[in-house]
Amino acid sequence: MTTSTLQHVRFAGMTSCVPKRIVSNLTDCRPQIRSERQRLVRNIGIETRRMAPKWQCFSDLAFEATEKLLESLDWKREEVDAIIVMTQSPDYLIPATAIILQDRLGLSNATIAFDVNLGCSAYPFGLHLLGCMIAAGGVKKGLLLVGDRSATLDDPIFSDAGTATALEFSENAAPMYFDLNSDGSGHKAIILPVGGHREPVDIQHLIPFRKDENDHWRTGIDLQLDGPAVLSFSTQRVPPAVEKLLTYACASKEDIDYFIFHQANRMINETIRKKLGLPVEKVPSTLQEFGNTSGASLPVTMTVRINKALEAAPKRLLLSGFGIGLSWGTALVDIDGAIFPDLIES
Amino acid sequence: MSHQQFIDNFLSATDFQEPVEVTMDTVLADLPEWDSLAALATIVMFDMEYSKTITGEDLHKIRTLNELYELAGSPA
Repeated sequence: MTTSTLQHVRFAGMTSCVPKRIVSNLTDCRPQIRSERQRLVRNIGIETRRMAPKWQCFSDLAFEATEKLLESLDWKREEVDAIIVMTQSPDYLIPATAIILQDRLGLSNATIAFDVNLGCSAYPFGLHLLGCMIAAGGVKKGLLLVGDRSATLDDPIFSDAGTATALEFSENAAPMYFDLNSDGSGHKAIILPVGGHREPVDIQHLIPFRKDENDHWRTGIDLQLDGPAVLSFSTQRVPPAVEKLLTYACASKEDIDYFIFHQANRMINETIRKKLGLPVEKVPSTLQEFGNTSGASLPVTMTVRINKALEAAPKRLLLSGFGIGLSWGTALVDIDGAIFPDLIES
Repeated sequence: MSHQQFIDNFLSATDFQEPVEVTMDTVLADLPEWDSLAALATIVMFDMEYSKTITGEDLHKIRTLNELYELAGSPA
């Protein structure tokens, strides 16, 4: 798609929920690697993360966020026309988590409900997808639930969260602008290669292996990440995409109150910020405390860092998600009179 | 750019925990902390300091710091 505009879509509110359990990158690791962890933490910028217990799914976090959101908005259950779940941590491969949540949340059978398989880049894509349904006139009130459950003790970057965003039809809403892109040639950069139909799980995938005694055990069913490829993709693709959307929307960087980027890691995020020449105050970050919450990292950053500012007065935001696929999306959104309850810890 | 400036930039970017003596003939693989983090930091350094995009593949082929310097186009 080319850069696009959506009319009559109002951002009504947002909530974010994280697990209570805090994991420290500096101390929750093997004693032998504590020294090198200091260097790692300095460079990726992540000191603590949130990790769900074994029984807690992304959908549980999203459920808590949505309950709070509906209550805060004073929306009736039957008023919700659509619920879209964007996650790579579904309850089951089949059926969609969104339909299970439709029932669990007590939404009516007239609710449109489906899942979208998208991770770190998800948020701008989700706003556009739900926004299109609303702009077209068929959906008056909709919910977008974004997040993942991918934290482990061994990987120092990922963190868990579930978020809920409410959009609604409004004749007077300011336009939303979008620029959304995909590059499947890079799909192997972030991949869980085993478990789908291309390569079903078999016994050999479950045999643990490690490179040396200080490494942690891995299996074939683990996520694989090509660090250099993701770094180059993010730092080469994101800055020009931001510039492009600003030009399209006839906005300057000075017109934007906050730039909210996917919270990847400090190396990536600082490179992007510097390339765009953005002041630190305009680029809030939750990396240090919450790490990389995948698609949820934009909502989590808005909830944790600027929710009071967003409630207090109208604000213009530039939102940027990037990663899995590879895909990258940028959105320019005006927030006016929306609600932003404090972070929920569950 | 002088070799010393390049070495300084490299050491600053890679942020090794333990001080290490580096010359242009140093073999990267011999550096105790030459790891994936150092490789990522080097990619960022090339991008920000020399406006050059390199890949993990490029780094994999490099043996010495001098070859790294040449990969940067022997920056003036």
